[in-house]
Amino acid sequence: MLEMANVTKIYENGTVALKNINLSVAKGEFVFIVGQSGSGKSTLLKLILKEEDATKGEIFVNGYQLSLISRKTVPYLRRCMGFVFQDFRLLTGKTVYENVAFAMNVTEALPKEIRRQVPMALALVGLSKKADAYPWQLSGGEQQRVALARSLVNNPKLILADEPTGNLDPETSFEIIKILKDVNAMGTTVIVATHEKQIVNSMKMRVVAIDKGDIIRDQEKGSYT
Amino acid sequence: MKIRTVRKIITEGLQNTYRNKLMTAASIGTVAAALVIFGIFWLLIQNFNYNLDIIRQQPEMVIYCNPELEETKVRQIENSIKNNEKIEEYTRVSKKEAFDKVGEILGDKKNLLEGMDESFLPVSFVLKLRDPSESGPVAAEYEKVAGIEKVDYAKGLIDFITKLTNWIRIISTVLLIILLGVSVFIISNTIKLTVYARRKEIGIMQYIGATDWYIRWPFIIEGALIGLIGAIISFLLVSYGYTAVVTKFNTDLDQISTGFNNFLSLIEMRSISARILSGYIITGIIVGAAGSFLSIRKHLYV
Repeated sequence: MLEMANVTKIYENGTVALKNINLSVAKGEFVFIVGQSGSGKSTLLKLILKEEDATKGEIFVNGYQLSLISRKTVPYLRRCMGFVFQDFRLLTGKTVYENVAFAMNVTEALPKEIRRQVPMALALVGLSKKADAYPWQLSGGEQQRVALARSLVNNPKLILADEPTGNLDPETSFEIIKILKDVNAMGTTVIVATHEKQIVNSMKMRVVAIDKGDIIRDQEKGSYT
Repeated sequence: MKIRTVRKIITEGLQNTYRNKLMTAASIGTVAAALVIFGIFWLLIQNFNYNLDIIRQQPEMVIYCNPELEETKVRQIENSIKNNEKIEEYTRVSKKEAFDKVGEILGDKKNLLEGMDESFLPVSFVLKLRDPSESGPVAAEYEKVAGIEKVDYAKGLIDFITKLTNWIRIISTVLLIILLGVSVFIISNTIKLTVYARRKEIGIMQYIGATDWYIRWPFIIEGALIGLIGAIISFLLVSYGYTAVVTKFNTDLDQISTGFNNFLSLIEMRSISARILSGYIITGIIVGAAGSFLSIRKHLYV
């Protein structure tokens, strides 16, 4: 699903964000990427998204070799992935239903399919009743669940979550992680970048720890430290 | 691109326009203001040229034959005038008519003419040229003809008007181009603000996997719609305003004098409204769409 071989990222200002990273994630895995802010985990996700290009090394995502694809192909690469961000990133002018449906409009899905998939995704995150609400009428946890529904609705092969619980209280955080776990149980690969110890420790999943641009630990059923 | 996607994108553009009411209103206002200024200027120039054209038609050229010239020779000259392509129309002034005119001019002292007849006066031709700036060559041509005593025309006036018209055309074209450039700049800046206010939205669309054109089209439609509404508003303002000015101008002029309005008159709105409306709509839509297209480019690289 994801393969990184000898990946190095040096930003234009000279900052070395990642040093010779080798990482392999198989289909159906659930992986935590942990590390302090500035450790390089956000850069790692940006490389997978092809928001940034690697300075050296090769990255393969779902059969795409990222160094070879053109700008025009990037949208299609992103369509096989779902993203969840710390700040939710919902379209404020659209209702919950429209936000989720929007991800399907973009891929030119059939209207019939949209009418079937969107309610299913909303049901999965437990927001069926809030379909007509606007993002500003929702709590943080609810907004993050809308974002989750949006990332799931196209049946992505991979879900990337960058600090998905960073703005949420512990209880809500666990709800979000539980949904991610459910999605993973259905066969989707999930990669979560976080620095929340409690969550990582309670899940007993694969943990990849990054520090100063190096992978310092990669452990099955691991914990934060 | 599939038809339902096109429909989605158009709906998206219309919805965005409505949901961003405040920015939309600001942009429409800017477009309308720029077009109104542009329109006022254009109308001024059009009216100036219109009146200049009228004045250009006024000066006449008069050819005086030798008073002793036989009628057959006069006929020859008349024929050559009739066949001259540079001359639009002419009137023959007979000796008798000239004599009456002299009498008219003398008025009270008409008795001076007692005992005289029209034989000492020449036959003359009053000409109107197709292009008054050709006056010089035409006059020179006829001065050489045997039997013609004199050719009269307002040399200085025609030269002056010809030069003035040319200069006004040049200056007005340059000014209109500058004004159009300024309008495009102002409008694209306003749209840039709209796009900037929604850069997050553009970013989200890119993460979801929207192609560049999928993101761009709704903005372009929004820009075109803003341009269209702005164009219609400015057309209404300009046409009502201008009609009011023309009406007031004409009534005032009627009160002052009667002979004057032959020289000074304004173009009627209905004779130019179609040109203004179509010009506005095309300019508005193109400027709005192009403004959106240019402003969004910067935000598309995430």
